[in-house]
Amino acid sequence: MAKHIITMIPGEGTGPEICEAVRMVIDASGVDIKWEYEDIGLDCLDKHGTLLPDKTIQSIAKNKVALKGPTTTPVGTGHKSANVTLRKVFDLYANVRPAKLIPVVKRPWDHIDILNFRENTEDCYAAIEHMVSDEVAQCLKVITWPGSYRIADFAFQWAKTHGRKKVFCVHKANIMKMTDGLFMDAFKEAAKKYPDIETGDVIVDNCCMQLVRNPAQFDCLVLPNLYGDILTDLCAGLVGGLGFAPGANVGDNCAIFEAVHGSAPKYAGLKKVNPSAVLISGIMMLRWLKEEQAANLIEKSMFAVLDEKKHVTYDVGGTAKTDEYAQAIVDKMGVMAGK
Amino acid sequence: MNFTAEAIKTRKKKDTKLVGVDVYIITEEGIPQFKEFGPFKCEFISNRGTKVWPGYVSPDLLMVNWYRCRFMATKDIQDADVTTFLEQFGQKWWWSAVQKLWTYDGEAGYSKAY
Repeated sequence: MAKHIITMIPGEGTGPEICEAVRMVIDASGVDIKWEYEDIGLDCLDKHGTLLPDKTIQSIAKNKVALKGPTTTPVGTGHKSANVTLRKVFDLYANVRPAKLIPVVKRPWDHIDILNFRENTEDCYAAIEHMVSDEVAQCLKVITWPGSYRIADFAFQWAKTHGRKKVFCVHKANIMKMTDGLFMDAFKEAAKKYPDIETGDVIVDNCCMQLVRNPAQFDCLVLPNLYGDILTDLCAGLVGGLGFAPGANVGDNCAIFEAVHGSAPKYAGLKKVNPSAVLISGIMMLRWLKEEQAANLIEKSMFAVLDEKKHVTYDVGGTAKTDEYAQAIVDKMGVMAGK
Repeated sequence: MNFTAEAIKTRKKKDTKLVGVDVYIITEEGIPQFKEFGPFKCEFISNRGTKVWPGYVSPDLLMVNWYRCRFMATKDIQDADVTTFLEQFGQKWWWSAVQKLWTYDGEAGYSKAY
């Protein structure tokens, strides 16, 4: 029996080709993994009558860990987001999105290493929307004490175990005194358990300005869902774009690792896109599984391939296809491991 | 240009039809179970926006003491039916807010739960 059984959800658009490339790299690391492939997204509507089939839910519930490619969500109308459904079903309340400079990617900053902890289940994503008259739409922003406390507690605990020094709460409590005020109060309560960690708060608009002027000042940020969604894309832009922005959706007993970016359907089948974001998500997954050696090997090999610039994708100035970039990483892993 | 006046000119009136209610209740007794209330039948219950009835509920799911309960009408209803419903409903359940559900030109003016 394999040491790890992991649910692989290739997703839509460019997802399947990205996930194949990522699987090739992770398998080459030697970690003993059995992959269970499951479906999600629009194709499932035809096949199963739902975006998120029961079989996929059961596989994740059994395996507790999944690696997921991107899915497509229509804007304005149409079906619900499969991603949000997945996070809700498994109560994956912590969306961990690191923004760390990749040494060789062109960027205007010398140092960025920010860990974003986005509350993943509440806020305006509670899906409570109404047309309250024929010309007025309303969305309820739902913030709860336990939901806010646990994401803050999770972030502080993560910071403590990963040697981080500062955890700041991002909010708009000067305007939304009840909702964001509750989020900040819960953060401050959780902070009392961690006296060795520096804490503070910053208003979200000021945080955006500070991030583009001096991102090095930030260490860990805890954010409600909507601000977290927006600021983590901003942070991705600071470190080289969405091609290098990984993420983890974590609950108390289950974790799903996925890139921040979408499915880029116009590039589907072209094997053109950069799989690094899903690969870095896979590296996060390996660390979650305590496979530190394999994670380090893949990470160092990926950096080396990016540094050489010979086999990189178009977004970082190369011409390599998705699978050629992945093969270059596999080859580099062989060299680094002394094979 | 008076942009406010221009905006008001673009208003489009729609045909509105009452089809149900979202009732928000506070209870410490867990996921509620409902009988039918006249022409109103419970379609789903959500907690923090996540559907907790019917269907799969993660054993890890964080729930608070505030539930959204969607009741859809099983026949044509009027505002007076909502008033009657609330009188009956309020005898057993402590509700915090109610939102009428309308369709506009036949399209639902309310979201589904995740």
